[in-house]
Amino acid sequence: MKVFHGFQKLSKFWRQITDLIFYLSSVSIATAAIQKMTRVRVVDNSSLGNTPYHRPPRVIHVYTKNGIGKVGDKVLLAIKGQKKKALIVGHKMPGDRMTPRFDSNNVVLIEDNGNPTGTRIKVPIPSSLRQMEGNYSKVLAIANTFV
Amino acid sequence: MNILCRSRILVSSVCRKSSLIDQSAVPRCTSLIFKARCHRLAVNLSSCQQRWRYGACLKCPFESKRCYTDRGEGRLTERPEKLEDETEEVEDNRRFSEVFTLDVLISLLRQENAVDLCVIKVPDHIQYADYFIVVSGVSPRHLRAMALYAIKVFKFMRNHGEPHVKIEGKDAEDWMCVDFGKMVVHFMLPETREVYELEKLWTLRTYDEQLKKIPAETLPEDFIFDASEFTK
Repeated sequence: MKVFHGFQKLSKFWRQITDLIFYLSSVSIATAAIQKMTRVRVVDNSSLGNTPYHRPPRVIHVYTKNGIGKVGDKVLLAIKGQKKKALIVGHKMPGDRMTPRFDSNNVVLIEDNGNPTGTRIKVPIPSSLRQMEGNYSKVLAIANTFV
Repeated sequence: MNILCRSRILVSSVCRKSSLIDQSAVPRCTSLIFKARCHRLAVNLSSCQQRWRYGACLKCPFESKRCYTDRGEGRLTERPEKLEDETEEVEDNRRFSEVFTLDVLISLLRQENAVDLCVIKVPDHIQYADYFIVVSGVSPRHLRAMALYAIKVFKFMRNHGEPHVKIEGKDAEDWMCVDFGKMVVHFMLPETREVYELEKLWTLRTYDEQLKKIPAETLPEDFIFDASEFTK
């Protein structure tokens, strides 16, 4: 009886330790699509997005309530030493059922007034952007293929 | 489609008959004359449509054969439906067609003195919209006025559960966009239009010049395909 009680206390202790470990470490692969400091791929034909630079473009701010960016959200990128707004058009994280999942975090550069910086997009763009709330018609108009 | 048209004709004839029973012979004559007139009007309307269609094609700055024939094909298939709509329109006298069709949109754009109107019929395999319209304006204010007027007319005519339409790009002066389910209209200034060349993209899909200018993606020299990355 005493031994059994002791064993229960020990297992509870180990459970608390493992919980603490999980709380401290970042097991957050599936919780975030695009957030601050993610490296993204610019998919339009703008000169800013396509000229090589020694640092890949990174997200420095996500314009959502939580800091997580999904398809259709605006983000602020740091590209070639300057700040530029962009629109997320695909991410590696699986989203809703029957929405495409991409192998790279794709982004289209956008001006402050919403006009796209580039003039063509070769990469497939999710057609679900059309049903979403937001000004995506301009990006859809310069897209070549829809997924 | 045929059944619908026939039912429409039946309903309209029944309504007319009921009205005839109530009233005297004079209105009967007028209704018969009206019927004859409306057929003629329908024919006139269709010929007018043809005329402006040709006109719109010529006005389109990018004169591609594909652009014209696509529209021509689209037109031919829709002609019998449109005629039925037209006859119904005229028969109802004061009430106009309740459906915000492409014709209504084009006529109101022409009424607003739109510059370089270009209508492109989008092929079915691109499931974006049925018609892609690009319009130029004289000034940003002109573009805004056209967009607002189009939405006003749409709101007046929409009765059948179509969601509201908003102007995208309100804060951009040179490019505004309105997406009515089946049609998408882009209001741009001539300079912006030349930069983006949307008509070229939407008529020649993959053979577009700007797309061809984009250099093909090449893998970096030190790229190693690691299969384990995909199985994570």
